[in-house]
Amino acid sequence: MTGAPSPAIASRGGAQRPVWWLILPALVLLVCFLVLPYVSIVVMSFREASTRAVYGDGFTLEHYTTVIADPFIWGIVWRTLRTGLIVTVVTLLLGYPVAYHLARTRSRWASVLYIFVISPLLVGLVVRTFAWLIILSNGGVANNALKWAGLIDRPIQLLNTPLGVTIGLIHVFLPFVILPLLGNLQAINPEVAMAGRSLGASRLQTFLRVTLPLSMPGIQAGSILVFVLSISAYVTPAMLGGSQGRTMAVLVVQYLVDSFRWPAGAALAIFMAAITLSVIAVYLRLTARAMRRLP
Amino acid sequence: MTTLRLDRINKFYGAVQVLRNIDLDIAQGEFVSLLGPSGCGKTTTLRCIAGFETVDQGTIFFGSRDMTRAMPEHRDLGMVFQSYALFPHMTVTENLSFGLEVRKIAAADRARRIAAVLEMVRLTGFEKRFPRELSGGQQQRVALARALVIEPSVLLLDEPLANLDASLRDDMRFFIRDLQRRVGITTIYVTHDQSEAMVMSDRIVVMNRGVIEQCGPPREIYERPASQMVAGFIGQSNTVPGRVAGRENDTYLVETAEGPIRSLGPDGLSGEVRVMIRPENITTDPGGGTAVPAANMLAGRVVKSVYQGDGCILGIESAGGTAFTTNVRADSPLGAGAAVIIGFDARQAWAIPA
Repeated sequence: MTGAPSPAIASRGGAQRPVWWLILPALVLLVCFLVLPYVSIVVMSFREASTRAVYGDGFTLEHYTTVIADPFIWGIVWRTLRTGLIVTVVTLLLGYPVAYHLARTRSRWASVLYIFVISPLLVGLVVRTFAWLIILSNGGVANNALKWAGLIDRPIQLLNTPLGVTIGLIHVFLPFVILPLLGNLQAINPEVAMAGRSLGASRLQTFLRVTLPLSMPGIQAGSILVFVLSISAYVTPAMLGGSQGRTMAVLVVQYLVDSFRWPAGAALAIFMAAITLSVIAVYLRLTARAMRRLP
Repeated sequence: MTTLRLDRINKFYGAVQVLRNIDLDIAQGEFVSLLGPSGCGKTTTLRCIAGFETVDQGTIFFGSRDMTRAMPEHRDLGMVFQSYALFPHMTVTENLSFGLEVRKIAAADRARRIAAVLEMVRLTGFEKRFPRELSGGQQQRVALARALVIEPSVLLLDEPLANLDASLRDDMRFFIRDLQRRVGITTIYVTHDQSEAMVMSDRIVVMNRGVIEQCGPPREIYERPASQMVAGFIGQSNTVPGRVAGRENDTYLVETAEGPIRSLGPDGLSGEVRVMIRPENITTDPGGGTAVPAANMLAGRVVKSVYQGDGCILGIESAGGTAFTTNVRADSPLGAGAAVIIGFDARQAWAIPA
């Protein structure tokens, strides 16, 4: 009876009324470091450009109209979204079997595999990307292996291409799809899949009709996480993408840092955020339909 | 006719042998319980039959067909799991429909069969509910219906009542037993609850540490246990160690610290034995010549008396130092410290090889 507080203590401590001030630290943190910067970026995106300060005095819609009218920017938007989509699909396809195995195995090596899964997170991002720089270069491991296997005669260009960026991002974000899926799959009663088999369904039928629908929350969480992270990733496309593999995040930083066009850069960032939010809104609607029968 | 036969099944987990030479023949329509303490191999045996565990040695026959290596989905079994394992994203109807759809049964036929089975488990009206909207007992019945609707050749039940509360469990015992009789389906029931096995089964298979200790009808298991383990696991028992001194007709004479005891026992018994007497077969008398004459009478002393509502449990220590437990009426004059004469008939004593 140690866990249950007596009614007297509960009412004296006000357990029924929410203790609102407990959220203050989090609220302050959010307002200072999330809401205020966002507001300042939004405001900045409507300011006139200036050569003497970060932005001028007047307000204008010019930056948005330029961004929307520019086919070059739409090209990069499309490339960024496509890269994000490919990274999300590939990490899902690669991560699902790993998560499934980890969730079901009773092997004592499971913890070793788990460490392998999260190992990309244990090394700094720049260091990892630098390793990819070496692997993907023209004389690097990837090209040498392909040549040795007789698949290619001359090295293929991997660095400074969207493909190079995609490969790098897949590696970086694989754990982000495995971990939510693992939690989700572990929560599914293994006897449910056994029940499917006992009722006459093959492994594949049982997977498609039972396990897969039940793992939709994990798929949804993991894919949104990877999609958002990969379209906003900066280090990997900046180091592996060159100009051919440039993504929106890289472009925004170029506007801000290289060309010092803060209002235009802000408009670009807001524009990208709006596109991302719409994509996710559509995706949530679609996945919510698939999950409406789940508890 | 045999519908299911296990022929010398052996199974290992690494170096540990979890099933040892399991032989079992199950007849058409029979209700067989696999009973034993946890870790005895009963669930492993069931999973071997279902195809969820591989068998290392031995053969499993369904009818005359060797199904030892068949996939679970090809074995034509209905299985009810301890957790019920209902599909949480499907309604009751969809749960039942699953097995029929996989078997490519036409829609009209499916609807008819689902309605019939739901009526059988008294769940008509619950078709559109999701499992989470049902009580434990109702979920249990959906699981049963889902296993039965495919009309399998054998029904496997893995501790299906373990997660229900006590009063519901008692009802479900009879419900499942009646249903099984009506459908006439061969059933294998795994349980660690001896009273459940006793009430429901045609035959009980008592397992311990991966071997079958005894296999027989409930009455035989209870009254004629083949081993100490069976005697101890099923019901209460009192045992007196001794040595076979002779046999008259079917009655053994066993020399014990309490003097000679007359007891029944399996043929061919000799050497060291233990005589088992069930508590309810012991009569107790305060002495003074009022004792009911019995083949075996021992003097003793009551060491404790525990009130239980419908009676008292008496702990008695006999003159030879053996501890006996028996039940008496709540108004019995025997209290702790009282002298007592305990009696039991030779037909109610059973000698087990020690």
